[in-house]
Amino acid sequence: MKNLALPENFDHKNIDILKQFITETGKIIPARVSGISAPEQRKLTKAVKVARFLALIPYTDKQI
Amino acid sequence: MNHYELTLILNPDLASKFDPYKEHFESVLSQLGFNIHYCENVGIRELAYTIGINKKGHYLIYQLDGDPSNIKELETKIKYDNSVIRHLVLKIDTVTKSDSFLTQDTKEAKKRAEERAHEAKLKAQVQQQQKPAKSETQENERSSEEKKDEGSSGEENSHNKDETTSEKNESATEEQA
Repeated sequence: MKNLALPENFDHKNIDILKQFITETGKIIPARVSGISAPEQRKLTKAVKVARFLALIPYTDKQI
Repeated sequence: MNHYELTLILNPDLASKFDPYKEHFESVLSQLGFNIHYCENVGIRELAYTIGINKKGHYLIYQLDGDPSNIKELETKIKYDNSVIRHLVLKIDTVTKSDSFLTQDTKEAKKRAEERAHEAKLKAQVQQQQKPAKSETQENERSSEEKKDEGSSGEENSHNKDETTSEKNESATEEQA
């Protein structure tokens, strides 16, 4: 397990933190792999999905 | 009254029209009874994927206070606004009155891009200067190498001479003794 910088609250604007939890292809890394707790994973998922909608992080690497 | 965070992605081609557009938009907000706590002007960022034909977008984030009943009206107004390429209204617990990570990130990205452009310019200049002068410099290098060879061989000779002279001196001293 990597040493991850966990914030108090996941913010969709803080993309440096969110990028730790997505793969190169843009998928969200499962909590069983990253080792964060279930409540944290739920918050993270919401933040990632908002950030994707605002074109801050990609949905997939196939989009240009 | 609820707290809201309104994010707008504007068409990056607005440029000079941006300031009047922002004023106009803020007047619309106040007409609908929204209280603006903070406006974060992130600036033009590269989008993670293209939206329509846009590869870049001007991000604008508002921290608002307002009535939930007016949100729908606001959204319809934004929807028919051609200069907004994407928008999102989020209900939030507390209003933050400072710039987020995005503004900092955008500034850094801008700096990096400028530095890269500057370096590319310098490289191009150096290459242009080198091209006509290349043949001359090569010749100079060759001649200097030859000179070096000559110089080194000359030194060796002188060393040998010194040694022979010292030997002579030694023999002379022996004879004296």
